[in-house]
Amino acid sequence: MNDWLSSPFFGIILCIAAFAVGVYIQKRFKTPLANPLLISTALVIIFLNVFDISFENFNQGGQIITMLLAPATAVLAMSIYRQFAILKKYFIPTLAGCLAGSVTSIITILLLCRAFGLDETLTSSLMPKSVTMPIAVGISEQHAGIASITVAAVVLTGIFGAVFAPVMARLFRIKNPVSVGVAIGTSSHVGGTTTAIQMGEVEGAMSSIAIGVAGLITTVIAIFL
Amino acid sequence: MKLLWQIGILFGVCFAGEGIAKLLPVPFPASVIAMILLFILLISNKRNESRLGESADFFMQNMSFLFIPSGVGIIQVFDSIKGSLLPLVTICIVSTVLTFAVTAYTVSGVIKLQEAIAARRKV
Repeated sequence: MNDWLSSPFFGIILCIAAFAVGVYIQKRFKTPLANPLLISTALVIIFLNVFDISFENFNQGGQIITMLLAPATAVLAMSIYRQFAILKKYFIPTLAGCLAGSVTSIITILLLCRAFGLDETLTSSLMPKSVTMPIAVGISEQHAGIASITVAAVVLTGIFGAVFAPVMARLFRIKNPVSVGVAIGTSSHVGGTTTAIQMGEVEGAMSSIAIGVAGLITTVIAIFL
Repeated sequence: MKLLWQIGILFGVCFAGEGIAKLLPVPFPASVIAMILLFILLISNKRNESRLGESADFFMQNMSFLFIPSGVGIIQVFDSIKGSLLPLVTICIVSTVLTFAVTAYTVSGVIKLQEAIAARRKV
């Protein structure tokens, strides 16, 4: 049985099935809280626990899906290219927003970690959590953080952004779609961007652009930390 | 064959990105280099966009699906972070909200500033 489940097909099928359920639930209830990523992640964890299947078996297929995050990040170039006219028009505001946001993210995390008395390793693992997964993991490892904690923090941030981006836009009374997009991409990377794309074309495009720009800025800041 | 060719180009760009990342003196994420390479490909030839269209759309539309295994990976580190779960979640949420607000206000502010400067120039 264990031998059979260590096939990479198992993990991939489980993810697709769980995601299908997540998408169905979101369509049914139409609330941002019913986030497909959140639901499907929870379903997979419950499934593995109930049937006592090891993470290693699941990850035979899982790591193939994770590998595809690299081309998915590269493809962000496509959305920047398609929205190049908007980016050119709002180049300076976008750059300023991503810079201010990235600095805010790093400073608040460093201060909060100190306030909660967390150790160096946890602090390094959390520090890059607002940027997209492959960049965040790279920065974390470079600063002796633990990659899987970074992954958890990045996913949590992404899900939070995906669920609450429209709420935050309303709460802070941000009406300009350019500002909303850049803010989503800078604060909650690809996770939030999935919601930004649903909010509108400009939001989605600016959010995708911000992932790349904020990722670049955070990488450069991290070199000096 | 068309789709296979598109995937070939995308993976090729990622592979090249990893190679360049190894050559750089400072640690720089390979996927960001791949993104820059792909962008150069796109602006160097107008037809490259339609050449990559379908597979690029596939990755963009299913982006959140690709995060599932990483999310499930939380169970691996859960025991070691159980004690500091509340601070971790609080830090993630507070910093995300603050980052969102600062970014949004900065972008809106700079846009208004630019408009004000442009308006003054016209007068």
